[in-house]
Amino acid sequence: MDRKLIRPETMEEALREREKYGRDALPIAGGQSLLVLLRNKLIDPQVLIDLQTLNELQGMKRQDMGLSIGAMTTIHSLASSADIQTAAPILAQGASKVGSTAIRNLGTIGGNLCHNEPGADLPPALLALNAGVELRRRKGTRKVRLSEFFRNFFETVVTPDELLCSIEVPKLPEGASGVYLKHAISSEDLAIAGVAVVLVPHEKQAGTMREVRIGLGGVSPVPLRATKAESLLNGAVLSDEVIREAGEVAASETEPMTDPHASADYRRKMVKVLVRRAIAAVMGQFERNGNGKA
Amino acid sequence: MAKLKLQINGEEMEIEAKETALLLDVLRQGLELTGTKRGCETSHCGACTVLLDGMAVHSCVVLAARCEGREIATVEGLSQDGELSELQRQFLKHGALQCGYCTPGMLMAATALLRRNPRPNLEEIKIGLDGNLCRCTGYTGIFDAIQACAQGQPENA
Repeated sequence: MDRKLIRPETMEEALREREKYGRDALPIAGGQSLLVLLRNKLIDPQVLIDLQTLNELQGMKRQDMGLSIGAMTTIHSLASSADIQTAAPILAQGASKVGSTAIRNLGTIGGNLCHNEPGADLPPALLALNAGVELRRRKGTRKVRLSEFFRNFFETVVTPDELLCSIEVPKLPEGASGVYLKHAISSEDLAIAGVAVVLVPHEKQAGTMREVRIGLGGVSPVPLRATKAESLLNGAVLSDEVIREAGEVAASETEPMTDPHASADYRRKMVKVLVRRAIAAVMGQFERNGNGKA
Repeated sequence: MAKLKLQINGEEMEIEAKETALLLDVLRQGLELTGTKRGCETSHCGACTVLLDGMAVHSCVVLAARCEGREIATVEGLSQDGELSELQRQFLKHGALQCGYCTPGMLMAATALLRRNPRPNLEEIKIGLDGNLCRCTGYTGIFDAIQACAQGQPENA
């Protein structure tokens, strides 16, 4: 039987269809991963619910707490948005490294998160930004922190009657800076390892950080924060030795997989290297900008 | 089945297709616009690149139904009144093809790039073509052709 395409015009209608079809339907955002899964016969939903027509899922809003990004915002918009480049540059960096130009033109932030493919570039950046998501079902709304959103390979906490509506990115603390580094063989590949680092310098103690956040992708069943490495660095003087140790601790927090792109061991080694490089890069930014140093 | 009205190369076309038909299948099978090539069908190779509202997209991962009311441009629309476009002429001049299978996709990706950025540098050209694979040329002829188009543009275009 032919697959059905439902094109709801309102959010209410979309949520009603979602509730009605449950596991027999899948929402289609940009379609850049979903249509590949269909082509490869890895999924076979009876119904696709098209989210393209829903205005509520489009666009970005600046709010007191930070940015609210509609789930259907394209990866290209994230990479080229002046608001994102100012408020959350690591998100723009992550977005610019997703797939290829054609994929960034249609792929969306909501689709990228809900697909939860290992090696995706947005999750590490959004984790390091302390982002959260808003999920809606017909009977209510819930907010979930991104650190609690990912469940397993290709699995999230989104239930079959829910839709991811927006991504909330809180403002960075004063003086904070960050970077996203990706290691891949070819630019359009998923990350073998992706590391996002945000450092918040101490105002008074030179060379020490008030807060360190490290988001990792491609190196565990789900994207994660390297919380042990973060604790090691919080409040410490960031000497070369401490930074090296943080890389090793971060690597020990991962559970990488071996696949045709890289072995688990190689991925762990790349985490060590990238965490070290990312911290050094952000320290370099502080030095050039004259902050982060008393 | 659904009836689709698509705006392709400035012409309105009507066609019956499955509700979840891919743009690639509608173009090639339904409308016999076979200039757009079928390659990997998984958005890696870019042989099926067309323009949707001026953006390069891989038509193997686009639902045709979503293209209603939008402008689709395929390689068939590049030449005007039998005259090749400047980009097509430069592709010939610089030998930017060998087997030719990737060429329609390359031309469309490069067309999108040059419309957005008429004087791209080499790095910008590489990023503009990052969704398109060529297994023959090693890309240098393709880069040369696009740079030749860019050099033909006034500095502040």
